[in-house]
Parts: sequence; C-alpha cells; structure tokens
Amino acid sequence: MQLTQRTGAERRVLRAVVVALAVALPVAVPGAAGAQVAEVDTTHSVFYEAPTRTHMFVYTPSGDVTASPWPWLEVSGGWEADVVSGASVSTKAGGVYQASHAADVVSTASVHDLRNMARGEATVKGEMTSLTAGYAYSTENDYRSNSIHANARTDALQHNTQFELSYAHNWDGVCNRVQDAGATSPTLFVALENSQGCFTADPTRVTDAIGIDTFETSWGQSWTPIFETQLTYTAQLIQGFQSDPYRSVILGEGIKAQENVPDERAREALTARMAVYLRSLRAALRLSVRGYYDTWAIRSGTLEGEFEKSFGESLRVMARGRLYSQTGAVFWSDDYTGGAPPLGPHGQYFTGDRELSPFWSWLAGLRAVWTIRPAQGRILGFIDSLKLGLSGSVTGFTYLQYTLGGVPVSDARAYVGTLSLNVAF
Amino acid sequence: MDERNQVGRWAFGCAAIAIAVLATGCATVAPTQRAILADPTMQFDGEKKHDAALRHAMENREGSMGGTGVSGGGCGCN
Repeated sequence: MQLTQRTGAERRVLRAVVVALAVALPVAVPGAAGAQVAEVDTTHSVFYEAPTRTHMFVYTPSGDVTASPWPWLEVSGGWEADVVSGASVSTKAGGVYQASHAADVVSTASVHDLRNMARGEATVKGEMTSLTAGYAYSTENDYRSNSIHANARTDALQHNTQFELSYAHNWDGVCNRVQDAGATSPTLFVALENSQGCFTADPTRVTDAIGIDTFETSWGQSWTPIFETQLTYTAQLIQGFQSDPYRSVILGEGIKAQENVPDERAREALTARMAVYLRSLRAALRLSVRGYYDTWAIRSGTLEGEFEKSFGESLRVMARGRLYSQTGAVFWSDDYTGGAPPLGPHGQYFTGDRELSPFWSWLAGLRAVWTIRPAQGRILGFIDSLKLGLSGSVTGFTYLQYTLGGVPVSDARAYVGTLSLNVAF
Repeated sequence: MDERNQVGRWAFGCAAIAIAVLATGCATVAPTQRAILADPTMQFDGEKKHDAALRHAMENREGSMGGTGVSGGGCGCN
C-alpha cells in the first residue's frame, strides 16, 4: 500500500515474465490456417474517488495472451498492475473525541504504491467438460500473494445445464511492525509507520500470514430459447492478520492503537442471475440478486440490472444499474472513546475501516463494445477479429454512521473508466 | 436449538437441490434453438476481462464478496 518503490530486480523479473509470455505463446502456436489460435487482450482502467479526503487515484493496466495450440488445450498468461496515489485515513476518531478536543483528530497519510501481478492458467477442454488450473503471484510494497485456483465445468442435457465447481487458495503475507516486548495487549500496539524494510531482514518488520480458501459452485440452466438462469454459492474462509497495519484508532484519552479485527472470518454469498432476450428490441435484459453474510455479522444485499442492445452486427451498448446495502460489522463503531453502542466500546476489537460500517450505494454505468470480424479473409492478412471496449461508471456512497471526526462523509463518489482491446489471430 | 436449525438448513438445502435437479428435466431447448442463447448479449460474464477492474474496485469498497469467480491474487485494497 505505501511509500517505497519496487526494487529494480523485482521489476526486471516481472517485466521478463510478461515479455516472455507475450512472445512465446503466439510463437509456440502452430499456424493453423483459418482457425483462431491465439488472442491478445489489453485493458486499461482508471479509478478516482472523491471527495472523501482520500482523492484516491488508481491506474490499472493489464495484458493477457491466450493460445490454443490444440482444440482441447488453452493456455494463457498475463500481467496486471495497480499504480496507486492518494491518501488514506491513518488515525480515526469519531465525533465524541473530536468534540472534546476541538481539533481535527483524523489524520491522513499519503499513499503511493505499485502492485504487480503475474498469472498463468491452462484449460483442458472436452466436448462436455473442461478443467482449468491456474496460478497467480503478486507483490506490493507491503503485501505478497501466491494463489492457486482450479475449476471444473460440465454441460449436461444437450448443453442446457451447466455445473461448475471452483476452488482457490491464497498464501498471502502482509508486512507489519514488530511491537515492543511490553505491548502485551492490542490496545498497546502501534501502527506500521511505512513500508520501508518490509520483506527484508529488517528487525523492526515482521510478515504476518493470511490464508484464504474460496469455494464456489454454480448451476446454469437454459429454460427456453430466450431465457436462462444461474445460481451461484460462494464460501470463503480467511485466517490471519486482516487489519490495516497502517491505521490507528483513538480508544480514549491518550490511547491510540493499531486497528485490531478478528483473525478469522467466514463468508457466504448466494447469487441468482437471469437473462432474457427481448426479440422486439433485439436486446437482452440481465438481472442479478445477491445475499451475503459473514461471521463478523455483516449482511448485505445487491440488486443489479444490465440492459444490452445490439446495433447491427458490430456494436453492442449496455446500460447498467446497481444498488447495494450492508450492515456494519458487530464490533464496528464510529467512536470507541465512550458511550453506548453504536458509538461506544464493542469489546476487544476496533476498526476505522469504513468498508465495515453500515452504508448503501448506487452505481450507474455504460459500456460499448465494437467488434470487427471480416466475413471473408483477415484484417491485414493475419488478424481474425478485433474487439474494442469502452465503459464508464459512477458510484455514490451513503455512509450511515461513518464520519471523519464527527463530520459525515457526504456526497462520496467513485468513478471508474475502462478501455480494452482484444485481438484474435 | 442450534442443532435443530442446522438440520433444518440441511433439509432445506437437500430439498432445493432435489427440486433443481428435477426441474432441469423440464428444459427442452434443442441444439437448433440455441442461437439466441449463444448471442454475446445473453452471456452473464461476456466481457469478464473488461469488467474486472470495476469488480475489483467495488469489492474493495464493500464489506462483501461472491458470485464472480474465485481466481485472483494480491490485496490491491487501497
């Protein structure tokens, strides 16, 4: 998340992986005439958040190469980065403390970070089934992640029914501060000041482990020639250090401690989706509803709708809307310095994380996809098709209890814009 | 009480799965009728790579997850 830059050696290794994948995969593919055997994707996305004091700006470029040397095998490799700048809340206090101190007790720290992720995946396909396995490695100044995932999918009943099972495991590590020997309680822990020395032999730094197991199963069903549904169940178990190591919470007069949340979190979600084609409009309507629950007592509901219409053979335009609402974590409070819940102490855990607070949000967005696929021959003699995508969305957040020193965070907005290009050979 | 609730949840789950399996038999879309179902506008995750950044941003602004696949790597949680 913070402060230092990637080392030159790490940059060189990541760049070499990406270049090798981009060059080797298309070269390794036999030049089968007529059939599409390789794809190159690149996506560029920007995120901007205002006016929540953070002014967080994230640029996310990515590149992927997919090759099908044989009809039964698909291999892909890619790279993704997050270039982050902005600010984050480093010390959180609520209105009660702010009022008694008559000063701005909420402080922020500047954030500059670069996340790099390399990923690879292989899929073996049969007529009715496919098996996929993949690996991803990512680095940040203060975070390391190794993850594997596997997926099995099968079709049944003349492809009208699809079952899918997926599993992923992450071995992650987050940098933290070595606490003083006398700090025997989390209320005495001090937040990490910066990421210098992380993942080195620096005796003032330690790496805390995080293990993440994610399981997902889904059932897709085509009911009529224009109507289909999908039901998905997701479960996730996270074990390890899940606090923001940089964030402090004011617990009382003269007591400022590093955020402390439980080490275990079990999460469940059930998602139902449907798509129906509206012949008269030559368009599809997709609806989705999701319910979520976790052991921190966050409950949420999501309602999402997408309307996508084709214009001719090449252009598709989609409008999307989304409503989201969640309750807060059971230990979440806007002010831990006194009083009764929801403002008072909630036991041994304390956090300043607004994502754990009760809030609701709305999203509106547009996406256009333009595909060029010649009826005969190829573009420039070797390109099977080109696909260009452009999208933008705005999200509004209404925080029901979260404040910055007692001042409500009003009119919070996040903007996301994405440009993508897919080239198939 | 907890045990009874757990048994009830399992019973509900098994019943739901049984109904779902039986219901699939009602679906009779012939291969020749699948043209619209194969249309890009009818795909739930038709532009998954394009929409990945938006999903990533939303997941890191919310306290929940689920329904969009399991792969991924790193925190990227600014």
